[in-house]
Amino acid sequence: MSARSFVLKMFAIAALLTVCGLQNVQAQFLHPKIQSKETTIRRVVVLPAKVNVVRDSMKGPEGMAAESDELSTRVAAMVAEVLSKRKNVTTLTPAAGADEQKYNVADFQTKFDDLLPRIMKKRSDVKKGRFSMGDEVLNMNLEKGADAVVFIRGEGKKLSGGKQAFNLLVGGVPAYLRLQIGIVDARNGEVLLYTDPKFPGDPTTAIDRLRRALEDGFKKLPEVKAQ
Amino acid sequence: MFPRKPTNWIVVALCLCIAFTSFAPVALAQKKTAPVEATPPPVNAEFKFGEVDIEILEQADLLDARFDRDGLVLADEATNAYLRRIGQSLVPRDLKLERVTWKFRALRDPQPNAFALPNGSIYVTTGLMTLIDNESQLAAIIAHELTHVMRRHTYLSNRSNRKKFLTMNVMQAVGAYAPLSVVGAVIMAVTTVAPFIMMATIYGYSRDLEREADLKGIDMMISAEYPPEEMVNVMKLLDKDIEGENVQLFYNDHPALDERIKYLSSYLGARANTVTPQMELNRERKLYFQKLEPMMRHNVQLAINAARARSALYFAQRLVDFHGDSENLFWLAESYRALGPRAPQLTEKELTNSGKKDASKLREKRTAEEEERDLLATPLGKDNWQKHQQLAEELYQRALNDENPTPVAHRGLGMLYEKLGRGTDAVVQYEKYLEQAPAATDRERIQRRITVLKEKQK
Repeated sequence: MSARSFVLKMFAIAALLTVCGLQNVQAQFLHPKIQSKETTIRRVVVLPAKVNVVRDSMKGPEGMAAESDELSTRVAAMVAEVLSKRKNVTTLTPAAGADEQKYNVADFQTKFDDLLPRIMKKRSDVKKGRFSMGDEVLNMNLEKGADAVVFIRGEGKKLSGGKQAFNLLVGGVPAYLRLQIGIVDARNGEVLLYTDPKFPGDPTTAIDRLRRALEDGFKKLPEVKAQ
Repeated sequence: MFPRKPTNWIVVALCLCIAFTSFAPVALAQKKTAPVEATPPPVNAEFKFGEVDIEILEQADLLDARFDRDGLVLADEATNAYLRRIGQSLVPRDLKLERVTWKFRALRDPQPNAFALPNGSIYVTTGLMTLIDNESQLAAIIAHELTHVMRRHTYLSNRSNRKKFLTMNVMQAVGAYAPLSVVGAVIMAVTTVAPFIMMATIYGYSRDLEREADLKGIDMMISAEYPPEEMVNVMKLLDKDIEGENVQLFYNDHPALDERIKYLSSYLGARANTVTPQMELNRERKLYFQKLEPMMRHNVQLAINAARARSALYFAQRLVDFHGDSENLFWLAESYRALGPRAPQLTEKELTNSGKKDASKLREKRTAEEEERDLLATPLGKDNWQKHQQLAEELYQRALNDENPTPVAHRGLGMLYEKLGRGTDAVVQYEKYLEQAPAATDRERIQRRITVLKEKQK
């Protein structure tokens, strides 16, 4: 075997492993209160998602602010849709508030951003009920009937034509979207569910893959029985 | 063994050529430690917009909108107007820059930072505005950021980075197809080292632009009658690492603070000798605090929320020293309560680079509650906790004994008593708070706490 074909083979294997890794079973972690059915998520408020996508080209990464905003809106809407259709969970729409209300929501989003790396470091600890954002969650004054608040973060990569060709020849990370979704108790701030759906492909156009990834991501969440 | 095929020679020559051209900027960047006596003109007149620059501009406009929408911009007209006034006094008169609309805004972030977007939006965080002492220091920060916009640094940096990324990718491709021979080994070696060199040049270029912004900033300050030595004082304040998070990394996009202080002091020279009455006025600490007191209080709250208790304490103490009213006393009490078992200042060992790295690793693992629990298991932590709870209680009481007591002090006292296990006292304080502030936004939270405490008492 020549050196060139050996290198190519190694890159092909690496690319395959990366793709397989991205298609892995979606990891989901439920708080013991959800597993024991002590707490049931019936009504949620989905906070604006923060999903960032970059376009990777031969000349380096380029920002895609408009596409990221569009994708963030789409992901939040799709999470609400999946929760409603598959789990019978109602999504409540919070009324837009004044500056102070805007600040409270912004601060709580920041608090989730601070907690997220710790959750990601040891996701399985969600099952032990280790993570909480405190009762400050009530300061958001979202909706009286809400059981939980949904936080969505994500990052993705889209490849330019040149980079796609380059990856085929040399290897590299393919296009992907990876989300981090946390569902937090609206009364005491406990992290009730954490899931990180991901899929390979262009994050800005792969709508069906996104839906499938989300459906898989919420698989373990118990369905609410119709009353 | 030497390469025989001419094509192999061409590949080797190409690799070496790229490697040498990459090394040169690193060497030059390292040599540039001597002070620059003549800075370039404030505006980059030769700059012409290209397609890539327009894309960057569009991204910047969208980023502006995102900051607004996400509630990150401080909606305090007084603070933003103050920033605007300083900013406009620094911009040279009759200056018209293509595709630039000046905007000066405060960003709700307790970390000291400032940045400029190429569309002319200058952001200064509340953390930085609270850390500094006077208007001249704020002017120094804005002048630095204005230079980035006027000299089109973002566009230039982006253009330069694109070229370097392309080179890195080409090198990677060449390396992947290197033949198994001596030539191949050379190619592999060069292509392996090249990305590191490229990264060094990217950061080196960024440091050059920062240096230019520092020096140009001094010129702009003098023109607007701000004492230029305050630029050096800002750097000294930034060097005050309250949270122990300024870790020296292998690559840095800004020159080290001590190096900045050195070249700025050297550049200042005789420039700092002229002092006008206006300059003296712009150095006034009291005036600065008077103008920004509400923003500073807001920042203490942000610092507490972000588990930056040491910073919160430092800022709140400055506020009390300036004006010991009920609200400022309340914020100092809140800071002590948030500090809990932590020491108010980091030790010398904790402030070493390795100490900071260790703390950073630990922060990634532990939540703030877990950190508190671990500290409370130590005698020093217990001691700190007792001392800080006592100080907090005294300060809450002082805030309540003030001429115009703030109702939130009852809430703070309630939370303190709840933590100390004094449920009945906590309920009394919470109820007083809700009685005095019936429209409080955290009413539901406090009401819930009262219910839980009362249930426990039954």
